[in-house]
Amino acid sequence: MQDNKMKIGIYELTGCAGDALLIVDCEEELIDIFKAADIEAFLMAKSDNDDACPLDVALVEGSVTTDKEVEELLHIRKRAKVLIAIGICAGLGGMQASFLEEKDWEKNLKAVYGGLEMIQAKALRSKPIDAYVKVDYYLPGCPIGKEQFLATFARLLGGNPPELYRFPVCMECKWHENDCLLNKDILCLGPLTAAGCGSICINHNLPCVGCWGPAEEANRTSEYKLLLEKSYNPALVKSKMANFSGTRIVEFFAQFKGGKK
Amino acid sequence: MKKITIDHLARMEGNGGVTATIDGNIVTDVKFLVNEGPRLVERLTLDKTPEEDVNLVPRICAICTLSHKYAAIRAMEKALAVDVGQKVKLLRELMHLGEMVESHSLHVFYLALPDYVGFPNAVAMASKFPFEVKIALEMKQFGNHIMKTLSGRFIHGENPVIGGFGKFPGREELVWINNRAVQFMPFVLKTAKLFAELPYPDIPEAVTLYACSNPPHQKYGFVGDEIILSNGEIINVQDYKSLTNEFLVSHSFCKRSRYKGKPYSVGALARVNCLGERLGGEAQKAYKKYFNGRWTQNPLFNNAAQALELIYAFERIPDVVDEVLKLPDEAIVLYTKKDGKGASAVEAPRGTLFHAYEVKKGLVSYADIITPTAQNAEDIERYCYIAAQKLLETGQEEKIKDRMDLVIRAFDPCISCSVHMVQVKTAPEDDWQERLAEIKKIASPLIVGMGSDNHADDGAGLELARRLRDRGIQDVWLESEIQGESACWGDERNRPILILDALDFGERPGKITLIPLRHAAWNSVLSHKMLPLMMDGLDLARLENSYILGIQPGSIKDGEGMSGPVRQAIEKILEQSGKNF
Repeated sequence: MQDNKMKIGIYELTGCAGDALLIVDCEEELIDIFKAADIEAFLMAKSDNDDACPLDVALVEGSVTTDKEVEELLHIRKRAKVLIAIGICAGLGGMQASFLEEKDWEKNLKAVYGGLEMIQAKALRSKPIDAYVKVDYYLPGCPIGKEQFLATFARLLGGNPPELYRFPVCMECKWHENDCLLNKDILCLGPLTAAGCGSICINHNLPCVGCWGPAEEANRTSEYKLLLEKSYNPALVKSKMANFSGTRIVEFFAQFKGGKK
Repeated sequence: MKKITIDHLARMEGNGGVTATIDGNIVTDVKFLVNEGPRLVERLTLDKTPEEDVNLVPRICAICTLSHKYAAIRAMEKALAVDVGQKVKLLRELMHLGEMVESHSLHVFYLALPDYVGFPNAVAMASKFPFEVKIALEMKQFGNHIMKTLSGRFIHGENPVIGGFGKFPGREELVWINNRAVQFMPFVLKTAKLFAELPYPDIPEAVTLYACSNPPHQKYGFVGDEIILSNGEIINVQDYKSLTNEFLVSHSFCKRSRYKGKPYSVGALARVNCLGERLGGEAQKAYKKYFNGRWTQNPLFNNAAQALELIYAFERIPDVVDEVLKLPDEAIVLYTKKDGKGASAVEAPRGTLFHAYEVKKGLVSYADIITPTAQNAEDIERYCYIAAQKLLETGQEEKIKDRMDLVIRAFDPCISCSVHMVQVKTAPEDDWQERLAEIKKIASPLIVGMGSDNHADDGAGLELARRLRDRGIQDVWLESEIQGESACWGDERNRPILILDALDFGERPGKITLIPLRHAAWNSVLSHKMLPLMMDGLDLARLENSYILGIQPGSIKDGEGMSGPVRQAIEKILEQSGKNF
């Protein structure tokens, strides 16, 4: 094994494991990935995992939902030079973070599990990983996209920071020459949602559901206003975006002039 | 005392592991753990529209994403009285066949096979089986391709919606799928032969009850409005709760299921056991050739059943495509209903998946989702226990870890269960104290002292019971007082039963252990001793809540007194258990 290869660890906290599976689904490229770097830990793809070694890059999927996961995450952060949140559960808390208030979450936890005390781990309200550790980069998506993942991976190997799309789904939608669904009075979250999926839903005549989380683009306020001009209820737009983006969406909407906190 | 732990089975719809605790020659405890935290999916979908629910719930599991999508759509369409046309039904079947091919081919070749041919993983296996590894990868890619064509993406595609599809696949894409399926057939038949003839060990073998969806018209398949059991019983899917009877255990965030108090199994092996006679074509030939009595009671044959289902899937795909090509595209069926209730069952690759909803004023007001792994959890624990106990009894303790691993992986809890960390560690000496405290949390136990005063240490249970009575503790019985009079403990059904007895588990005299009584049924020494008790008035629910607090005897010879270590053990239990027991 060459010593100058980057040491990379891929980890899963609470979620559907779709981001790890997406990496496995890279299939042909997967062999190149394993050749180009030392994959020290990847529970889904290999059995001889090293959970103590220092890492150049740690990729973390899933949100934090138990006290054990907090410990695990702190341990990963301590060992990694660069930590990347992959997918919207790690980055934003995911759909399991849609209970905005602690009390609301506690009530729902009780409704499912009664008062039963778990021996194994203490349940916590789902939070994105940056609630506990510093995150260097965020790779959006539910799940992450193959193209963006491979490009990011290649840049990291070259010692460069990832370069993500900062524009909304609308841009990709235009490239695909789709008709705008908003013009057909269908509420589409494309204007607010991060690009990278290839506007896949609109390509299938279906509205964007916002599963990649909010876009970073500078003029998103005007994109938001566009939806309001179409006379969509701000509460409805917010609730639809919160389906996937969890608690973080509150902060997102707070940035808009005229957007309610 | 030893603990054998498999910490990270990586994914079972999340992160999980298994721990077996061994005390002398008895396996005292087996726990199948799900480490994944709670996501409360059934709660966060409340007050959303049916469409939003269908977007969200597939995110429960990336591997069964389309089974979840399919089940959610079917349940919603039942609730909202949406009736889709034949083309939509067929294309849904096709997308689901894609998931079945993807999941089964990955599981049998990459996760299961390395164990049987002596390699640590699939990559290492490629050195000896390059052709198999390569073509298996192509088979998985083919499954992925079908999923992507129909759903829009490899994972969490949104194209299938309530009422139909956003976009229909083109003729060329469908013809390609058809041709590719036909090309695979020779290899698929070899796959079935390979997995039917693997040297599956006979530990663990034990009968169980199998359950799966019952497709209409006496056909094989993966959806139906009824559940069929291997004992011939039929349950309407709307009454799915009479099958699943969910309950909680404190060592896992994953709920458990039992039917009439007993664990049951779902998955490919369950389907082949319940529906195998209905297979046609090459699948039928393979079934007739390979299916035998061992398939009915050995979970390891799930791999053989999956390979058999691959034949079914590859024969079915061209038939579905042929029919689809004759039909015109259908517009999405719109609905006006705002209120309704509906449940559905879909066979995910790893077993029956239930989705049930109630919609009120256009919003979800109730959601219940029961996954196959949750239903299999009890049988996974049971078969692990049987495997560990039988290997222990036959002097093959060193095989326990690997065999439990094999059992769990055979159930296919999720794709990457090949990956794990196995540890053997010594458990704390006084493990019984902690576990007794847990039992007492439920309710104070009814106590029964067993044994015989004339056989030295065999009187330990009786002596302990008498001493507890002397302390004024209520509800303590001696064996002689309850025989034939089971009614005396018939009341207060929620209270655990604690049997005090001398128990030979091959440890040093005076060692104390605590085991669930149900374990006695699979333990050749214990079952003989406890059988009369278990037969006598203890129903299943009661048996589940009964335990043996055992002391290792030194001598059980006629006429001898009780030995020193056993006396000390009795004092220790009295001291630790306090005034209220």
